[in-house]
Amino acid sequence: MSVTRPSLSKYVCGMVASLVIFLAGGWLILAPFALGYQLYGADWVSQTTNDFVVGICVAVVALISFALFFFSLLGSLRASGVIAARSRPQAVPAPVETAPPAMAAPAAASNQSDLDRTLATLAQALAADLNARRQTSGDAQTNQLTEQHITNRRDA
Amino acid sequence: MRVGEVMRRLVPPGSYVLILFFLTGIWLTISPFAMTTQPSGQHWIASTVTNVTIGGILMVVSLLGILSFMGFALRDLIRETQTRQLAEQAEREEAAQAGL
Repeated sequence: MSVTRPSLSKYVCGMVASLVIFLAGGWLILAPFALGYQLYGADWVSQTTNDFVVGICVAVVALISFALFFFSLLGSLRASGVIAARSRPQAVPAPVETAPPAMAAPAAASNQSDLDRTLATLAQALAADLNARRQTSGDAQTNQLTEQHITNRRDA
Repeated sequence: MRVGEVMRRLVPPGSYVLILFFLTGIWLTISPFAMTTQPSGQHWIASTVTNVTIGGILMVVSLLGILSFMGFALRDLIRETQTRQLAEQAEREEAAQAGL
């Protein structure tokens, strides 16, 4: 079993480089005013425009670079288990939804078969009872019809 | 491990940004001369000194960042490979002993 060791130095190098470059970008923005080659209240000279634009771009991109290295560091720490992996709320219900039908299928089938068996027994009992009743009622009807027939003939 | 994966581990997204900074440093260094804000044959003016200095810092720091990241990532890769090889060798020896 291979153990993943977190190596922080490479990410720290990237983050430090990004931070230094961010400071350089900040100095580029401030330099025309700090060094006095941009006169106060006058239109911006070309050096000022160049330094300011490049300084802003450098500072913003340095922040992005810092964030990229930082998230790479977080990913490495997460992969090595130093930081607990982010729990995904959508991933949890999926096994809960899928697993119970698979687990409950045999139980449901056994319950169904028990119910079927009980119902079948009940139906057989009912059928036997109905047959018996039919037979008795059939005999009674036959007897009643015969008696009625006899009385009719007597009357006639 | 494939070459693409090795390259992905050696050059992360942050390193591409550092390459961009290296190019920016080159531009900052040559911009006073390219934009002719620095009169030729005279001492460097303040903006030229600033631009060349900051450009040099950008180039050096970005190169150091890229190279140090690659160095450390390469060291990690080599260590991982050695650990894997040792584990495979141990498994093979265990299997051989179990077979005997």
